[in-house]
Amino acid sequence: MKTEPPNLLIVDDSTAIRKILLRVLNQTGLELGHVLEAGDGKEALKLLEGQDVSLVLSDINMPNMDGLELLRALRGSPRWHDLPVVMITTEGGQARVQEAIELGATSYVRKPFSADLLRDKLAALLSK
Amino acid sequence: MTSEQPRMAIPLPSEMADMLFSTTQEVFTSMLGSDIQRVSAPEAERSTPFDGVLSLIGLAGALIGNGALVCSAEAACDLSSHLLCTEFSQVDEEVLDAVGEITNMIVGGFKNLLESHVGMLQMSIPSVIFGKNICTRDAKADVAVVVRCAFPGGEVALTVRLAAAPGTMCRPVSKERLENSAGKPILIVKAPVCKIKEPGTPVDEG
Repeated sequence: MKTEPPNLLIVDDSTAIRKILLRVLNQTGLELGHVLEAGDGKEALKLLEGQDVSLVLSDINMPNMDGLELLRALRGSPRWHDLPVVMITTEGGQARVQEAIELGATSYVRKPFSADLLRDKLAALLSK
Repeated sequence: MTSEQPRMAIPLPSEMADMLFSTTQEVFTSMLGSDIQRVSAPEAERSTPFDGVLSLIGLAGALIGNGALVCSAEAACDLSSHLLCTEFSQVDEEVLDAVGEITNMIVGGFKNLLESHVGMLQMSIPSVIFGKNICTRDAKADVAVVVRCAFPGGEVALTVRLAAAPGTMCRPVSKERLENSAGKPILIVKAPVCKIKEPGTPVDEG
């Protein structure tokens, strides 16, 4: 039986970054399902309600509901407790990274990022 | 009763300018695939009206202020074209969003470097303005640095203005002194600056 390609969710208030991440995802060479986009954590939670997603890529600094609040909400929910979440953010200070990891982030990528490194990291996570 | 106002050691303006250039260079190299050159030494900020794009991000913590990027419309289109691999010939919402994100990465990188000296800082989301004859006015800052850079598509000016948060004083010190204080508390000098008298009586600054 053929398995469905994974759906992904990109959460960032910048359409520029969402476009760049889409490009990087398309370059992984992996078969992907739907790639959903949200501008903040609240929108992300709404989208997750209606769709099964295999991986979330989220910014931290966003209006309405930031990435750490989103992460906290996901880890507090039985449905999304184990959903892989990669934080992609300019917030590269050690304390912030530590906070995200303690909240349950699967991985952490600092912006600016190398497209090659990000592509490899996402390919590895999606191949699991 | 005596209250003490802490003084915080921060990098010298010239060192902050180097930090700002290094984060700008990193963003241009890794996200835009573009070379960048510094075109002038750090200098005091000039507040002359200009045409183009201004992108501004607030910083708050032990230091408060902002980081900004200023460039022409043509330079903004070129930066966005490189970032998004799409040709832009006029400033539109996508260009403003892209310039805001570039500013976010530059100011964010600078903030990450500065946090090792002053502790955690919070950063606002970017505000981006496009117009003609833009005039800006900032409140007095303890540190104001400007870094001007040239890249094949034009020029950008990066500015950081910072002041000590209420209840704190800051003092720029050399890199060597900052490095020597590594691992020690960042509040390196404490001096009594305010004597509080009985309630209801004036306070003497001292």
